[in-house]
Amino acid sequence: MATLVNPNLITDLQKFGAADVNACFSCGNCTAICPLADNDATFPRRFIRLAQVGLTDDLVTSKELWTCYQCGMCTSRCPQEADPAEFMATARRYAIAKLDRTGIARAMYTSPVAAAVISLVGLVIFGGFFASVKATAEERLVFGVPYEWIHLVGLVVMILVVLIAVFNLAMMARATAKRDEVSAKSLFGSRKAWGNTLRAVWYSVGVESLGQKRYREDCEDDDPKEPLYRRRWLIHFLTVWGFLALFAATLIHYGSDIIGLQGAAVGVVALVARVVGTIGGIAMMYGVTWFMINRKQKVSAAAQHSAPSDWLFLWMLWITGLTGFIIEVSLYLPQDHPQPWAYVLFLVHVAIAMELVLFLPFTKFAHVMYRPVALFFYALAKQRSAELQSV
Amino acid sequence: MSENEATPVGKVAPEDRRIGVYICHCGGNISDYVDVEAVREALADEPGVVVSTTELFACSDGTQHDMIDAIKEKQLDGLVVASCSPKLHQVTFRNVAARAGMNPYTYSQVNVREQGSWAHQHDKAGATEKVIGLVRSSVAKTRLSDALEPLRFDTVPRALVVGAGIAGLRAAIGLAEIGLEAVVVEKAPEVGGWVGRHGETFPSNAAGRDQIASLNEQIKQRRDITVYTNAELTGKSGTFGNYSAEITLHRDGGDKTLTVDVGSIIVATGFDSYAPDDGEFGYGIEGVVTLPQFKELVDASEAGKLIYNGRPVRSVGYVYCVGSRQEAGGNEYCSKFCCTAAIHASVLVNKLDPSVRQFHLYRDVRAYGRNELLYNETRDAGSVFLKFADDAPPTVAKLPSGGLGLTITDLLTDSREVTIPVDLVVLVTGMVPRQNKSLVDLLKLPLGTDGFFNEIHPKLRPVETVVDGVMIAGCCQSPRTAGESVAAGLAAVAQSAALLKKGYAELEPLVARIDPEKCTGSGDCLTACPYDSITSIEWDGRQIASVDPATCKGCGGCIPVCGADAIDLLGYTDAQMRAAIEEMFEASVPVKEPVA
Repeated sequence: MATLVNPNLITDLQKFGAADVNACFSCGNCTAICPLADNDATFPRRFIRLAQVGLTDDLVTSKELWTCYQCGMCTSRCPQEADPAEFMATARRYAIAKLDRTGIARAMYTSPVAAAVISLVGLVIFGGFFASVKATAEERLVFGVPYEWIHLVGLVVMILVVLIAVFNLAMMARATAKRDEVSAKSLFGSRKAWGNTLRAVWYSVGVESLGQKRYREDCEDDDPKEPLYRRRWLIHFLTVWGFLALFAATLIHYGSDIIGLQGAAVGVVALVARVVGTIGGIAMMYGVTWFMINRKQKVSAAAQHSAPSDWLFLWMLWITGLTGFIIEVSLYLPQDHPQPWAYVLFLVHVAIAMELVLFLPFTKFAHVMYRPVALFFYALAKQRSAELQSV
Repeated sequence: MSENEATPVGKVAPEDRRIGVYICHCGGNISDYVDVEAVREALADEPGVVVSTTELFACSDGTQHDMIDAIKEKQLDGLVVASCSPKLHQVTFRNVAARAGMNPYTYSQVNVREQGSWAHQHDKAGATEKVIGLVRSSVAKTRLSDALEPLRFDTVPRALVVGAGIAGLRAAIGLAEIGLEAVVVEKAPEVGGWVGRHGETFPSNAAGRDQIASLNEQIKQRRDITVYTNAELTGKSGTFGNYSAEITLHRDGGDKTLTVDVGSIIVATGFDSYAPDDGEFGYGIEGVVTLPQFKELVDASEAGKLIYNGRPVRSVGYVYCVGSRQEAGGNEYCSKFCCTAAIHASVLVNKLDPSVRQFHLYRDVRAYGRNELLYNETRDAGSVFLKFADDAPPTVAKLPSGGLGLTITDLLTDSREVTIPVDLVVLVTGMVPRQNKSLVDLLKLPLGTDGFFNEIHPKLRPVETVVDGVMIAGCCQSPRTAGESVAAGLAAVAQSAALLKKGYAELEPLVARIDPEKCTGSGDCLTACPYDSITSIEWDGRQIASVDPATCKGCGGCIPVCGADAIDLLGYTDAQMRAAIEEMFEASVPVKEPVA
């Protein structure tokens, strides 16, 4: 059955980055040199071709887009100077926009003005809301903002994000499963299938997303190889774990409150949460700061081109981290009550943190949901080809 | 035929001829397997043989000088060299004879290398015996040789050009520049042919119609070029160097005929564009056009406005190789210009409106030479190339949503079957031979299996035909670009100059000759002659055959069909051939065992 193509795909795609792949004549040098391309995931050549021909669905739902860590070797070897590495990055941005049905991601990626307006509006709404809620006398306040409201809004934002994420991921996963001939039966049909599925989940979440194995190996090919303290995988690793630690600190705090912890335990738990959060915050700030420096200095292929939305994501992380630290420090200042400046900073901190989570499906942040799913399918494909080979 | 019919040199009796026989070692190519000394000895006492000698290399400069000296000193009137193939050295030794003042047509070459030593390396005695027979036979033929003179006749310093396309017009100017008059005959009301209808063309981007206008301007300023439009070549008589051409002018008041004398004829009648069948790649559906139709559309478009039937064109799909490289029985050849022409058109479209998406569905892109740069240019500008397999051509159909759908199994996209929605489909049509039966019949132009005119040799004689003085140039010969057509036209000019600039022409005298006394006028030879060189004339009150020596090729095809034995081929007369054969079968000569 012939697939009807979109003749304007490449034109549309070009709005998302410096992806001029017209020069590509499908020689395949990029695939040959790519340390991550193998028989279970061949790219970038195939995906450049999909873009040229106009096979939109195949491109945006492909697992291969997310198995690339943009080391840039393909670009350095491309005889046509078509910059396949940047193409893959652009295609990922395009996929985020295309899988998002609200149009927010597209607006934020293609228009710096829209990105700025949306962020500011979000900031004003969240900040304005928290500034306006009046606390009753019994309510606990955090820097003057009612504790319950923060948790409630946070919960609503997270539920919203999860709903959107599940919907978007379902679109991508369904298409990939169909292409790779993965079915409910092949995933859960037997004990062995369950075993394979769990192994694939461990690979994608454990080995890759948390362990960053291939990212680590991929960076070995960077040219020039950055010093370890600012190497891409390490700063990404610290950012991820820092973020997770902060998230964990929040959960610990929130959790102790829900279960109604009393007495001396409250202080212990609060201390644990604070230590975990502080260490996580330092790790994340370190990673994000280097990411920003790398992008500013364009040190690697991955940092050559930055969309406004890429910067927005980094700035939001950075501001959240910085304001968090300042507020934390303010706690130890010799005052009984929060200073007015600490109150304002806290509003900014909370508003941006809310925005950060809310924007997850629409910004570069979306890779945290697409990449593990793609790697899960990649692991399944690898298992299958290994089985075929052993037959 | 009796022996007394031969006309020996100066009426010398055959046995009184003074013949030199040279037997070549050819290094060892001959002497390793043939006892050349035995051959020399066997020939030394033959009647009429004055010199019999062996040489290490007969073709060497030194030996040539020795031969010339011997011819002069011994007053030889016949020369036989037993060496290699005449293809290699017949001209060499004919020149040796001429330089020594001897008639070159009394020279005979015997090929004892290919036919003797090389063929019989395992039978030295047999090889030697055969070579002696061959040489004796040649001596017998030489004893009866005539002193022949090359045929010489005056030529007309004017050439006829048939077809006023870019090749014909440029050739006419070339003829005039070299000092030959040119008469151009064009069937259409206007000069210029295909190129004259085009706007920008590759590779220079100059407009075709401007180039034609410039040629036409030059022609108008010259008195030595006459152009007839609405005119056809309808008759031809005479022989090369002296053709008489009948030109019919189609005029409002009726046809007028005029006759011009020309020395040569350059045929540059061009091509027809392949016309797809109804339904072939969707031809007939609105929005499916051929390459020439598309070029016309592009040429007529203004910047930003590529419009077809009132609607803007947002996307174009090209289907390559339409009418070219077909299955056996169809057009099996590649038209070679069409890839680049389509690519060039897409570059023009991109200049008109860069937002138009263009898809090229091809089998192989043959944008050779500098045209590769155009191919790169259009790809850089966003043209996408999709490759289909020879046995899986794309299909064209109307889409349910409106517009056209091009469906292709793209070998470059994992052999996926995809349908590309486009507003316009361009069938990249090639060239087909123009139907020109009357001209073919009139000029006896040889056609190839593909229907285009055939040259004598694709490399060495690329514009000459087997008809002397009739040349072909441009796309009537094979598909090609305008530049290549002009080059061929100018080659035909040079070839015309080679024939006509001396004012006379010389031909080999080895032609058929009719004995009018013996000829019964049966007419059998007239039909046997492949060159139409024999005509029926009245002689002594009856019809007899007559050979035109200017067009006779000396093939000898007429001789065996003559029941009256009235035809002889000069240089190879019946008497000579009979003597040669008889000599070969004389009692065999005893041969000594060759020296080891």
